[in-house]
Amino acid sequence: MTQADPFPLSAEAGARPVRRRPRGTGFKYWMILPAVAVILLIGLFPVIYTAMKSVQNITMFDQDFSYNGFIHYKTLLNDTRFWKALAHTLIFVAVALPLELLLGLAMAYLFLDRLPGRPIFVTLLVLPVLVSPIVAGATWRLLLDNRYGPINQIIGWITGTEQTLLWSVDPNLVYPAIILAEVWQWTPFMFLLLWAALQNVDQSQMEAAELDGASWWRTFRLVVLPSIWPVVAIAVLIRALDLFRLFDVVWALTKGGPGTMTETISIYAYVQGFQQFETSYTAAMAFMVIIILAVTVTIVLRKIEIDR
Amino acid sequence: MRLHPERGLGLSLRLVLALAVLVFFLFPIYWLAIIAFKTPEEIFAYPPVWVPENIQFANFLVLFKDGDAETVFNSLFIAGVSTVFAMLLGTMCAYSIARYRTGGNLFSDWIISNRMIPPIVIVFPVFLLFVTLGLVDTYTGLILLYTAFNLPYVIWMMKGYVQDVPLELEEAALVDGLNRWQVFVKVVLPMVRGGLFATAVFTFVFAWNEFIFALILTRNEVTTFPVQVTHYFGGQSNFWAKIAAMSMLGTVPIFIVVAFLQRYLVRGISLGAVKG
Amino acid sequence: MDRRQFVIGSGALAGLSAVGWPRLANAQAAQKAVEAAQAFRGSEVTVVWEAGLQALDPLNFSGPMWEEATGIKVNIVEVPTSEMFTKILQEHRAGTGAYDALNVVPAWMPDLVRAGALEPLDSYVEKYGYGPELETIAPVYRDNQMKVDGTIYGLPDDGDVLVLYYRTDVLNDPALQSEFKAEMGYDLPVPPTTWKEFDDVGAFITEWSDGKIYGAGFMRESTYGALMFQERFRNEGGRFFDPDTMKATINSDVGVKVFTDWVAENKWMPKGVQTWGFVENLAAFLAGDTAMTVSWPPYGRWAAGYGTDTEALSWVPKSTIGGKVGYAMTPGGHPQLALGFALGVSSSSRNKEAAYLFCQWLNSAEISLQRVQLPYALRDPFRDSHFASEEYKSRWPEAPQYLQALQDGAVNGLLDLSIIQTDRYEEVIRQSVTRLWSGEDPKAILDDAAAQWDSLTERIGLEKQKAAYASWASNPAAYPA
Repeated sequence: MTQADPFPLSAEAGARPVRRRPRGTGFKYWMILPAVAVILLIGLFPVIYTAMKSVQNITMFDQDFSYNGFIHYKTLLNDTRFWKALAHTLIFVAVALPLELLLGLAMAYLFLDRLPGRPIFVTLLVLPVLVSPIVAGATWRLLLDNRYGPINQIIGWITGTEQTLLWSVDPNLVYPAIILAEVWQWTPFMFLLLWAALQNVDQSQMEAAELDGASWWRTFRLVVLPSIWPVVAIAVLIRALDLFRLFDVVWALTKGGPGTMTETISIYAYVQGFQQFETSYTAAMAFMVIIILAVTVTIVLRKIEIDR
Repeated sequence: MRLHPERGLGLSLRLVLALAVLVFFLFPIYWLAIIAFKTPEEIFAYPPVWVPENIQFANFLVLFKDGDAETVFNSLFIAGVSTVFAMLLGTMCAYSIARYRTGGNLFSDWIISNRMIPPIVIVFPVFLLFVTLGLVDTYTGLILLYTAFNLPYVIWMMKGYVQDVPLELEEAALVDGLNRWQVFVKVVLPMVRGGLFATAVFTFVFAWNEFIFALILTRNEVTTFPVQVTHYFGGQSNFWAKIAAMSMLGTVPIFIVVAFLQRYLVRGISLGAVKG
Repeated sequence: MDRRQFVIGSGALAGLSAVGWPRLANAQAAQKAVEAAQAFRGSEVTVVWEAGLQALDPLNFSGPMWEEATGIKVNIVEVPTSEMFTKILQEHRAGTGAYDALNVVPAWMPDLVRAGALEPLDSYVEKYGYGPELETIAPVYRDNQMKVDGTIYGLPDDGDVLVLYYRTDVLNDPALQSEFKAEMGYDLPVPPTTWKEFDDVGAFITEWSDGKIYGAGFMRESTYGALMFQERFRNEGGRFFDPDTMKATINSDVGVKVFTDWVAENKWMPKGVQTWGFVENLAAFLAGDTAMTVSWPPYGRWAAGYGTDTEALSWVPKSTIGGKVGYAMTPGGHPQLALGFALGVSSSSRNKEAAYLFCQWLNSAEISLQRVQLPYALRDPFRDSHFASEEYKSRWPEAPQYLQALQDGAVNGLLDLSIIQTDRYEEVIRQSVTRLWSGEDPKAILDDAAAQWDSLTERIGLEKQKAAYASWASNPAAYPA
């Protein structure tokens, strides 16, 4: 690990190189030890435990700890409700994420130049991010209430006729409702990241491009995008992972309904595990999700690193 | 300015747009707030009441009288302590990774992969573990859990900030005879102060707002405010007045905290991400 | 006796005299519980209670009273209905003994017993002489919400039953009545006794008043919808399963008819009724927007304005219809004894005796009479003595009719479905209701639901479930005679 030592100079030129080097090696492990211990306990143990339970057969009444083979995984492969839940989850990721990114970028541009009261604007725009997702879900349920909520009223003013859109019931409206709540809460997050990233774009390059008469789009593609790309990549990754575990907002708005139309993976796992006590089956589902995620994310991370 | 398309939109137009954006993002919070102040008649009025006639505090007073408001202090304590721990352990780990590439890429990937596990997946084993350790419905339990859950994020963010600290400074300190612990505490930590605050804000917000773990791992001693909010769902009714009032009690403190740390927040998260 | 003990002792005496015992010979159960509980003075009993209004009873009333009389501290854990079963079972799995006494929905009792979470209570009942008073609980609750396989696991503590509420001033309006007769060819029934009549009257009122008052409003949200489906489906002649094959039969013509009728009814009910829960429906009824509705007993008290001045009820919209409300059995004549609560003792409790004694005391004739009259609480009359109470009858002018309606409901009521893992079957109905409101075809939804029921039955074990169902269905209150 000599190469990894960031202080080769000190090691060579320092007064006591012999003593310092081994201490440094121990030091770096001491530094990670507490964090690793905590993560192992709360991160790794549950995963192993889940894997173990998934090959047993524990239900609400049967505490059957014997080895049961991969029967739950087989059932899972044929469980259309599980795959639908996965598909719903991916729909949320695929729709909400680009919306948040594009709106966030547009807002970042809007607030990039000097604007009266800009710091106040930015401060206030952060607020949705700080609201607890379960509270955000409840808030949107109030807003979208067909009778006591203001959204239908506003739409009514625009269309000129009284509206009773049933946002949590109508199959055409449940996805827009959930996505609206998601976009409301998390676009400001994207905005903040991108706003700061845009401010860091090298001005001299911009000027050079402008002098060359490059179009805005070309400048954006060749100068701005490469500069903000790391931020975009990380922001997208963070949000994609959050959307993948989407629970609170859906729970507050539709509970996965109508039927199981908006049921996400997290909600299905909660229903199976904590309402129906299919412990082993849920464990199998959980482990499957971990595998799917691990594979996807590893690929994506590698790709990002290569692109950089 | 230059980044803008063709020097683009006029100032007044941008101002109007900015206001529209602001209204969109603040209106839901406004609506939640006024419901907390409304009387039952106004909550269930049709068409909806946009400005309550009288500001009344009955919805809040009930929460204080029944002790429900104490859940905000539970949240404060749990989020506060777990943030301190996560920052401390996480920054140490980040320093080691940033400076020594400890464990290599694999270790870094493994750390961040822990941030990806959906909470619902691990909450049942964690519940059983906590039962064994006697940690269900205790401050220690939730603090431990939130510390663990925030660590990957802290490590990831702080790694970026640490990399920004000029190596020469540390080398100079080493030559001056400080040992590596002293370098970390006396040289590195002050240098990354801004990053610490920025990361801590988000760590705190996560712990403050977390729902699923708290739902399953609390009974009644250390209930946090998001769980308390859901106590008013269902049953005979959704008690919208209480939901709104409790939500406000849990949301306003975080607004205040963030307002104080605002300069770190806006500059901080972005820098961390840029360098991440 | 040192001074501190003396103070506590006199406090207990004050408590005793405040509630007036010893008073009557038949008030013994409460007294016995208090006397026996003195042995556990200084201990603590943790009780799981439904969050919200239900919990105000032990928090504001019975808890402090018990503590004063016995020195046993009552600690209330409020849990939302949807989490109660889960938390109780989780806690049992964990075996931490965090809960001593439990509020359980009677339909869950078999599942909780199977999981071993409930303590058998027969020996306690005998030891503390509660038998005679337990017997005076209204028969339908006593016979159906107390025992599992012949063993006592819960003390039935809540006379939940669905009631038809109707506006006497609207339905008795002579103009409405004559127009109704002219158009429909029969006298307007006050109140309607079949769903056909109900639909005729409801649709007519909406049209007749030109939308100023709707014929009816309902709790259509799936939690309530699923319970109401159970009731209506059986009143119209439906059966849940084929008793021989255990094949689900909810997709029968009756099931489809109920769903189809519901969709048709929504057209003359207020817009958005599909999303209504307890409060939305209550608000509309109290505001005078709807002429009829079906709901739980508290509606009747609050519509009369009884106790709605109390601070705890500040969220209830003020009633504009006091004195104008009639109470009746739901159409079909067999209202569902929907939900309800029984008091039980957790098998993992470390203070079972004290927990039981608290339950006995709460449930006793004397204390329960006070509890069902708390204006803010949701415990409803469940003893014959409650229905007959002169004190209760004097609470508001129509209270006697109200109590009569509750008693009639109890006599003719239908039990919630209760088999193995009932909640999973109910969840299927709940989802079916949400699908119905999203516009899917009733037949397709119910075929799907029946298929899901069948696969659940298979997963649980067909023979086991068949036996459980046979035992439930053999009860006279399972289906209308």
